[in-house]
Amino acid sequence: MKKKVLAVILGAAMAMSLGACGSSGGSGNSASGQDSSGEKTYTIGISQFAEHGSLDNCREGFIEGLKEEGIEEGKNLTIEVKNAAADQGTAKQISDTFVSDKVDLICAIATPSAQAAYNSAIDTDIPVIYTAVTDPIAAELADENGAPVGNVTGTSDELPIKAQLEMIREMLPDAEKIGIMYTTSEVNSVSALETYKELAGDYGFTIVDKGVTQTADISLATDEILEEVDCLTNLTDNTVVNSLATILDKANVKKIPVFGSEIEQVKIGCLAAEGLDYVELGKQTGRMAAKVLKGEAEASEMNYEIITEPGYYVNTAVAENLGITVSEELLETAAESFDSISS
Amino acid sequence: MGIYMTILEQGLIYGILALGVYITYKILDFPDLTVDGSFPLGAALTATMITNGVNPYLTLPASFLIGAAAGVCTGLIHVKCKVRDLLSGIIMMTALWTVNLRLAGTANVPIFSKDSIFDNDFINGVMPEALSGWKKLIVIAVITVAAKLLLDLYLKTKSGFLLRAAGDNEVLVTSLAKNQGNVKILGLSIANGLVALAGCVFCQEQRVFEISSGTGAIVIGLASVIIGTSLFKNLTVMKATTAVLIGSVIYKACVAAALKFFEPQDMKLITAVLFLIILVIGMERRKKVKKHA
Repeated sequence: MKKKVLAVILGAAMAMSLGACGSSGGSGNSASGQDSSGEKTYTIGISQFAEHGSLDNCREGFIEGLKEEGIEEGKNLTIEVKNAAADQGTAKQISDTFVSDKVDLICAIATPSAQAAYNSAIDTDIPVIYTAVTDPIAAELADENGAPVGNVTGTSDELPIKAQLEMIREMLPDAEKIGIMYTTSEVNSVSALETYKELAGDYGFTIVDKGVTQTADISLATDEILEEVDCLTNLTDNTVVNSLATILDKANVKKIPVFGSEIEQVKIGCLAAEGLDYVELGKQTGRMAAKVLKGEAEASEMNYEIITEPGYYVNTAVAENLGITVSEELLETAAESFDSISS
Repeated sequence: MGIYMTILEQGLIYGILALGVYITYKILDFPDLTVDGSFPLGAALTATMITNGVNPYLTLPASFLIGAAAGVCTGLIHVKCKVRDLLSGIIMMTALWTVNLRLAGTANVPIFSKDSIFDNDFINGVMPEALSGWKKLIVIAVITVAAKLLLDLYLKTKSGFLLRAAGDNEVLVTSLAKNQGNVKILGLSIANGLVALAGCVFCQEQRVFEISSGTGAIVIGLASVIIGTSLFKNLTVMKATTAVLIGSVIYKACVAAALKFFEPQDMKLITAVLFLIILVIGMERRKKVKKHA
């Protein structure tokens, strides 16, 4: 009997505490209000899918971009950051919480979070701004013309594949085969690989691809692919990028250059990249969000954007190790060059 | 209000999964890891059917059947090939990853613009305007309660009694001249059918199929079963199946509370601790009962 009572009390306590936090969330940081100086204040919920260098950069850039437009945390902005730890159900719960807290805008980072946020806010007037969604059209967040399907827009981190192929051709005039490793369950990687295969012929390359299913496969797959190729190039594949150190180690032994897809990869030892700077991408997203918050534009009327100018990043220390000389002209065009390998 | 709605919706969806896990874990005493594969299997089939314009209500029985087929495979591997229970589940779970990816075509299939069991001409016509905010919850509740009642009915049939006996007392089944292996296969197929049904509803609620949605499904199922059956152990009037459903809602409430107060990165640890506490409380009771006896 005692146990039964205990269970009931436990249950009741749990419900009450939830109720309490629900209501405090509701009144504490509910929809836009006026602060003491009469200026408008905003509340934004950021739903990030996973802990990941690039995604963290997106988030920081986003906050930076808002600040550039005069919306600053601590002054007229309250930010609630939640991370779904790569769980789709949790992502939905996070955006549902934001909706019930009546935030002014949800910023969703990465595709599953963007889809969850759009799903949660579909029947409300809360705008969703996403970033780091590689293919918003395939994710059904935009129609074939790039126009939003609802009150949802943002930025895509589509890779500048043409620029990358052009750059590889310039740095390795004799190369024929480019190797690409990807995770079979990552949609973004699969679609980027397709584009690579379509375009490679134009630059006289053939693509050798190797699919993995999990981190444990990386070692073997790297050994296999290195037998067949003249260089490797990376996508923004989570599994592969997280194991980049392993891949670089093996490639260095064979003196095979590895090209990156964004600035962070060049820092840690990729030869070069014609790639994205996720902080910049985040800033661009932040500026879009600011427009929506200020009422200058509706999310439902803005097409999604891609990063306007890819940057060329090169690591001269890596080039030296591989015995590759980077021409002066090329070095001059670099957005940033590194002369050491950080680990 | 919104957050309670989410808890109930998600709790009831995963409740269907928990009913399946209840059959394997509690009744058959079979730690069935197939669940991590059969949950997204239901979702993958659903997404494929819906993108091909099939009536969304047909996805429900279809998902149950495909899940049941997966369960039969696990059963055959265990009974006929004499592979240990845990391993049979792991083999099927691994195999289903590829099946799911092939079935859905890609790892992420959105169905935002398509009809679903929650959003189609029929349900929009039937549901009164005032209830439209509750539409999802009502549809989920109807499916979950129907699944529970059907399972309750089944467990009262002769076949259901045999199923319960197979877990408790194998000798009894054999002495009744019944093949205990076949009973196990049947139990696994019903269990995984329910799990795939949960995946089907989950996919339509999320409006997207995502390959990773099955990862950790078994943990959620086990936690729900253990929370439910331990908390309401002494409440003999309550059916175990009801307790399991409530357990699932409580689990989702805990996740929501953890989301409020902790970082989501810590959630798995919190889950594990909660899990352990409830297990230990459950065990102490059993000891006491023995002493009294």
